[in-house]
Amino acid sequence: MSRNKWILVLIGVPVLGGAWWAFRPEKLFINQKVSEAAPAALSSEPEALYTGKLEGKIHQTSGRATIYKNKDGKEYLRLSDFTTSNGPDVHVVLVRAEDKALEQEIVKGDLEHVELGTLKGNQGDQNYDLPAAVDLNQYQAVAIYCERFHAIFGVARLEKF
Amino acid sequence: MVCTIKTGLAVAALAGTFLLPSSLRAQDSMKQDDMKHDKMQDDKMMHDGNAKTLETGKFHGKVHATSGRATVYQEADGKLVLRLTNFKTSNGPDVHVILVATKDAGDDANFLKSNTERLELGKLKGNEGDQNYEIPAGTDLTKFRTVSIYCERFNANFGAAPLEKF
Repeated sequence: MSRNKWILVLIGVPVLGGAWWAFRPEKLFINQKVSEAAPAALSSEPEALYTGKLEGKIHQTSGRATIYKNKDGKEYLRLSDFTTSNGPDVHVVLVRAEDKALEQEIVKGDLEHVELGTLKGNQGDQNYDLPAAVDLNQYQAVAIYCERFHAIFGVARLEKF
Repeated sequence: MVCTIKTGLAVAALAGTFLLPSSLRAQDSMKQDDMKHDKMQDDKMMHDGNAKTLETGKFHGKVHATSGRATVYQEADGKLVLRLTNFKTSNGPDVHVILVATKDAGDDANFLKSNTERLELGKLKGNEGDQNYEIPAGTDLTKFRTVSIYCERFNANFGAAPLEKF
């Protein structure tokens, strides 16, 4: 081997080594998967499945809608940090997130929905049981809905927690 | 006479339009209404446990595709925990989980250059999967509003999750 080649090797190997250390290119193909359990204090808690922020439609509405699963498998919706306007015949309903009717403030015709109950209060934290048979893959949004006037007070689009 | 009938009709119509007009004005808050208050207590008891959810946010990041959710919990003893769920980012060298004192962070943001205050939570345990990180006691969460997956070696933000009140 000629002298030049030796010099090339002597310089090239450390440079390549340094570059490997800095960039660790093999990590692009190697995943490091972990699956830590929730903190101990959470293990006895209901598990959050979906959450979304409420946005006001015809009336100012704010807060968060979260769907939890109890240890016994029962699911419920919890509104937290919640405020909307008070009104007549206001209900909490599950709706299809892709429903075009959600773009309107007053729904023309009927809104396809799953009833969760009459709104317990227009302010404050509150829970609503979900019917056992409800398919949450179909109904990915929560609406605060005035049935009398078909008015959507606010909507929360749910995202995976 | 006609006027009286008209007025009467108008009043009746108005009353009919807002069957319970007072309910529009009354603050039907759980705190004020005794009966509702009881119901609220039930809701609270049903939900109150050992840990409180304080903040949550979704990860975004394009340069190194990052997704999932960051949530801050407070345990009964006041300890703060950050938990990543449904989490995925690219693997890389010397990657850390940090809190930064910004509202959000752009892809590939360099917090050193921009002199952003940051708080180390630990080395990223894995680039996929659920994981927990302790947040030091006394951390001001009103200041640190973003969770970042940060490559210390290249000062690059892999992904960021802006926190929102839960």
